[in-house]
Amino acid sequence: MLEPVMFTGGLYKHDLVVELVEDLGGYVLQKNVTQTEIILLILVPTEDLAMLQSLAKELRGELVRAPLAGTEVAVVTPTLAIHHLPHSACDIAEYLRRHGSKTNMMGLARGVGREIAQINEYETALINEHDAAVFIFGNFQECIKKKESLYRNITVPVVVTGGPQIEAKDLPYAFEYVSSIGRVAHRARKATEIGSLDRIVESVGRALDKTRASIAKDPLTTSPPRVMDSVREQVPDVEFSYSPLPIALNLTGVRVKLPYDAYKDAVKAVTFDEGVSLGEIATIKPSRMKDYILVRILPASETGFVF
Amino acid sequence: MDPMEVFKIEVTGQEEFGAKKYRELIMDILQDLGLIRSIGRLYVYVDILKPYFAVYGLLRSGIPPLTVKDVGDVLRVAGGYQIKINDEEHMANLLRVLWERYGRERVEQPARDIVIIASDTSPSELMVADLEAEFLQDLTDALVRVAPEGFRNRRNIMTKDSFFFIAAEESLTPDMESEIKGKIREMENA
Repeated sequence: MLEPVMFTGGLYKHDLVVELVEDLGGYVLQKNVTQTEIILLILVPTEDLAMLQSLAKELRGELVRAPLAGTEVAVVTPTLAIHHLPHSACDIAEYLRRHGSKTNMMGLARGVGREIAQINEYETALINEHDAAVFIFGNFQECIKKKESLYRNITVPVVVTGGPQIEAKDLPYAFEYVSSIGRVAHRARKATEIGSLDRIVESVGRALDKTRASIAKDPLTTSPPRVMDSVREQVPDVEFSYSPLPIALNLTGVRVKLPYDAYKDAVKAVTFDEGVSLGEIATIKPSRMKDYILVRILPASETGFVF
Repeated sequence: MDPMEVFKIEVTGQEEFGAKKYRELIMDILQDLGLIRSIGRLYVYVDILKPYFAVYGLLRSGIPPLTVKDVGDVLRVAGGYQIKINDEEHMANLLRVLWERYGRERVEQPARDIVIIASDTSPSELMVADLEAEFLQDLTDALVRVAPEGFRNRRNIMTKDSFFFIAAEESLTPDMESEIKGKIREMENA
């Protein structure tokens, strides 16, 4: 079992952390360098966590659990206008990031209004590429109930946020509803506001756990971090991608941020020590996000083995 | 405590939370844009089932235009007038106005906060900025920000001492307008 953790510390000697994680059979998911500070998102075997903790202590770094690491969450607002940004949407996205998730902010093209709100097929498909979605709505319960049509066709769990208290039975298509975080014109700074952000993180965590539980019933042929590691090793061009996170992890696969037509064969040809290629154990298709490559690992029931 | 004399907000249906939050939201936006002190009374009426959003406000006394003597001290000196700038915020506007009135060759700026004009006519009464026009522009911006985003059919009637703003999802009809005016009047008289 791998434990998702976040290491925050000085740049000096951070290589020791990376080396230890690799020696223990863990994975470094993301590396963010900010001048002399570094933030590492790590998956490490649970039984070896103590070793990493003592190294972090020695380096005067901080090691915290990042329950959302290795997942991608869409933060969806009705549009990207001043009415929704920067306050509530950015606060939620940043808070999810602090707990290890990779968040993508999305504004719908025509998501505004009560009667006129719509979502199109492309937007739905793009949200479905994520592991969970957070829909940010406003302060009127009539509108929040009416806007259910926006996420009715989304297959990933949807956490809805809004201002007023609404009973769960009134929003049957939402995974959960988090109240007290409707439209605001200031940053979340009061304890109650931060508390609401915590409740969103907890709710997204529960949504992801539900997906993990359903994956566990028919496990994936291999784990997404392992695919990420092999792609990074065997398709070195990915390191030259301008994206801050060239390979984004999902619960069921990865998104490789390279042009689909030019690199799909190279990604298909990635081989593992067991002798199988990625093309045999995963579907490789164009992502709805830009021109990227979407890798979806097949479950054991389709390939007949797990490694 | 509200800086306004009257601030009423009414929302139809079971939307007490929405009304409370919109009150905070309106205060935040008006404060951000520095408009709150210029509004005396404010009435907001929202019917979320129709749906429409209306704001009626009474403005405090008009803001006089900003003249040269408001931004600096004007002194008579040999060969013209000297302006000692106290408020640099309007410097660009001030220079533009002086150049237009006297010509660039007669306006000199020997120091950052000193402007000398080679003319016998005093610049004291020249208008540097029309603050009222700026205020009305900011007010319109604030109203568009305050209204729910989907309400894109808007009407804004501004007079010297009041404004009346309606936004709705559907086309605005004269019936709707008179209905809203009636509701606002009820709020005023309540």
